Amino acid sequence: MDISSLINALQATPLSEAIRESDWLFPAIESAHVIAIVLVVGSITVVDLRLVGVASRNRSAEELITELLPITWTAFAVAVIAGSLLVIGKPQTYSQSPVFLSKMGLILLAGLNMVVFHRFVQPRLRHAPLGAAPPVAARASGLVSLALWIGVVALGRLIGFTTN
Amino acid sequence: MLEQFAAWLGKTPLSAFVADQGWAVPAIQTIHILAISVLMGSVAIVNLRILGLVERNQSIRALAVRFVPPSVVAIAVLALTGFLLIASEPNRAIFRYVFWAKMSLLLIVVGLTGRLLAGLRRAGVYDQAQARAPIGLRMVSVISLLVWLGVIVTGRWIGYSEGWPGSPS
Repeated sequence: MDISSLINALQATPLSEAIRESDWLFPAIESAHVIAIVLVVGSITVVDLRLVGVASRNRSAEELITELLPITWTAFAVAVIAGSLLVIGKPQTYSQSPVFLSKMGLILLAGLNMVVFHRFVQPRLRHAPLGAAPPVAARASGLVSLALWIGVVALGRLIGFTTN
Repeated sequence: MLEQFAAWLGKTPLSAFVADQGWAVPAIQTIHILAISVLMGSVAIVNLRILGLVERNQSIRALAVRFVPPSVVAIAVLALTGFLLIASEPNRAIFRYVFWAKMSLLLIVVGLTGRLLAGLRRAGVYDQAQARAPIGLRMVSVISLLVWLGVIVTGRWIGYSEGWPGSPS
């Protein structure tokens, strides 16, 4: 089964039809998606601004990450579930939307940036004294993350203007 | 009066500028959502601290010092971008019940937040790390979080709703 017949089969499911046909289901799922996204971006921004060195400077980055990461992951899980339901509603439309596909690309890049951060940068923060300027690598991780998530929000909003 | 205001706003050069640029509305909406992210991230962290779920080794005051200033900036950005979005197409917001529901919820949550912070001070749990808020104030915190979610939901719904009967379209 190739990808396009898979998409067509998805489009023909009762769930897809229900989301597509209902007056309130799509905006309701979209509301949940927005709530989740703002919590993902809000909590990540707090950590990123700490990494860049402009906020929460009297808190250790390590502690801040431990405290806030559960919020980020919970909200991200809700965003993925709600987002998937939106895609299930209109799989043919989204799979052909360059804006949607670019948004998915940016999320992958943000994930990659996070893996690089946890693997290579975070271990070096563990022994950094409080109040010291963050290492360049930590600042770079924070800035790249901020830029990618701003892009994710912008493309996400643009999806609604370029598809119907 | 509301109709006259909407008609006047719709004829301003500002309205024409925002409405005529294809990129302006999605760009302003993106800034609006990013500001909601800053505000909701701050609101969530401070309320989760009041509930004793995150940052327990910090006092509520320490959290307020960190998160109130960015919240104030975010609220100013939200008011400005929200006004520009209304100006671009006044009839798409001003005559819809859900828009006024959103504004009412905002007023309610501002009141709740004021009571909550005053209550925490009176209860003597504002300044110490590890301090636990009494159950009544934790309830106020949960309610205000739910009202904030209501603000987002009604905000999203403005674009999907229709004007009330007899309103200009």
